[in-house]
Amino acid sequence: MIQVKQVDHTFLIGKKGKEKKVPVLKGLSFEVKQGEIVAIVGKSGSGKSTLLHTIAGFMSPEQGSITVNGQETANLNETERAAFRLNNFGFIFQNFQLMPGLTAIENVELPLKLKGISPKQRKASVQQMMDKVGLTEVGDHYPNELSGGQQQRVSIARALITNPPILFADEPTGSLDSETEQDILLLIQNLNQTLGVTFVMITHDAEVASIAHRTFKMHDGELVKGDVR
Amino acid sequence: MLFKDQVDFVRQHIKKNKLRVFMTILAATMGCAFLIVLASIGFGIQDTMRNEILQDQAITEVEVYPKENEELNLEEIKSVPYIGAIVQRTSMDVMTSFHLDDRSISGNLQLTDMKEEEQSNLKLSEGRLPQNNSEIVVGYHFAQNLWTDTERAKVEEGVEEADLPKGYEKSIIGKKVSLSLQSYDADTTFPEQWHFTVVGVVDNPAKDWIVDQSILMDKSWLPELTGVYEANAEQIPEKFTYATTKIYTSSLEHVKSVTKDLKDMGYNVYSVSEQLEQIDVFFMAFKIGLIFVGTIAILISSIGIFNTMTMAVTERTREIGVMKAIGASPKLIQRLFLMESAWIGIIGTVLAVIISYAVSFLANWLLPMVVGAALGEDGLQDLSITFSLIPWQLVVLASAISIGVAMISGWRPARKATKIDVIQALRQEL
Repeated sequence: MIQVKQVDHTFLIGKKGKEKKVPVLKGLSFEVKQGEIVAIVGKSGSGKSTLLHTIAGFMSPEQGSITVNGQETANLNETERAAFRLNNFGFIFQNFQLMPGLTAIENVELPLKLKGISPKQRKASVQQMMDKVGLTEVGDHYPNELSGGQQQRVSIARALITNPPILFADEPTGSLDSETEQDILLLIQNLNQTLGVTFVMITHDAEVASIAHRTFKMHDGELVKGDVR
Repeated sequence: MLFKDQVDFVRQHIKKNKLRVFMTILAATMGCAFLIVLASIGFGIQDTMRNEILQDQAITEVEVYPKENEELNLEEIKSVPYIGAIVQRTSMDVMTSFHLDDRSISGNLQLTDMKEEEQSNLKLSEGRLPQNNSEIVVGYHFAQNLWTDTERAKVEEGVEEADLPKGYEKSIIGKKVSLSLQSYDADTTFPEQWHFTVVGVVDNPAKDWIVDQSILMDKSWLPELTGVYEANAEQIPEKFTYATTKIYTSSLEHVKSVTKDLKDMGYNVYSVSEQLEQIDVFFMAFKIGLIFVGTIAILISSIGIFNTMTMAVTERTREIGVMKAIGASPKLIQRLFLMESAWIGIIGTVLAVIISYAVSFLANWLLPMVVGAALGEDGLQDLSITFSLIPWQLVVLASAISIGVAMISGWRPARKATKIDVIQALRQEL
């Protein structure tokens, strides 16, 4: 489903004209299969976020190729990448990244609006998704009226509303207490099993990594292969 | 994204910053209204001047004067294409005296070709044009200035305008009047007398101060009248008849070509369209100047729109980042921000148009009274002076400038929004 081959990336750090090259991804290669939950773990600065941003198309790698569902994404322009993300990816962020001016339902509805789906179809899909993530009662609430767990559920519902085959999660439980973390992890496992969604998660939490089918460990921009179940 | 959803999105964001958006719309409204009202003064004054000129003269009328020491060659003039009528009125250097019962008047006798007068669409307030040479048409004020000797003596002593005699108050149509002549240097009238029937009265002159007591008579009388003058006058001047010639073109668009052809023939020509053309050129430059000054006001207000949109982009950096992350294209982001600035421009412009019409109406209503009061003249509001006129073309032009400038001011912030880096935006603190 996702093939990463020989991906290199370097950041330029420092004042203009006196920049210093810092390699963050060094010849990374791996594959993620359909329906897998893959966890990428590593210390801060190991390059795991950069790797996720590169696969998700937020940035282009300096070298190497990334293929998602048979489509080479590294060479797409910004507009093409946006359309590709809309149709293939869902995102769960550590700090939820919900629109503060929109209600829970409107936040979940947003990707459908971007796809140009009619209001009638949107209403049915959103209602179904809100039921699925257990948010039926709080649909009209604004993000600041929801608990952390509820906000992350809204974020997950928004990520899944377009039925993407791949879901990226950047520290999905990083802002939650341990009880809520368990709820969210169970939800992710449940969605993976029932919908067959592929999850690529970034975490430094062993508890989160424990639900993954495979875990890749990163260190200084290199992939240190971890346990493979 | 559906257009309706885009509009909803823009409305939601405008709602979030009501006060800021209101102030920006206010600035856009003031700028656009200033442009419209300022330019409307140019349109208003131009309209007033055009009306003033057209009051005197029909727009298809061309006055033609002969070359020095020469007569007009009417046959030559007739050969010019698109001439509808040639009206040549001849007056004599002689005192005329028209009598009706015990009343009399010294009118301005003019001999003319009635068929040409008919073709030139001479307007009558009542009656008809003469059908034979014993019939005449009189000026609008002819009857009211037909006074008895007693009334005339009273007027000569001096009376207030309100106390002026009313003259002949019945309808003058069908009445027989007699004409006698007298030279300016003699005390007695010539013995000859002629009798005519009044069949028509010329329309009231557009200008209030003109007193029309002329008499239009068929030109066939000219030889007889000049013969009588020559037989009775003690001194006969070399020239005692004067002709004025007016040409009426078949339609408005031919005034220019007829004027040119007559000038090419060496005649001195004056047409109202020529004067209007000069006035239009002057006012075109004047209006462009006013619109330029007004546009500066719109440009100043556009700084407000630029600031508002830049603030909006800066404040919404994280939201734009999320939108882009979940699949919004840069073009959509740009369109949403351009729509927001266009929305501000459209609302501002609509309000400005409404306000401008109100200001224009008030100016035309109040200013004559204010100016009249300041100058101590009562009748100023009765004069048809237009201080401000807003034609639809001005509304279209001002709207295009205002909305265009609003969109241009929003373009750079909108471009900035498309360039926001998703990763940096997602890292922003909530």
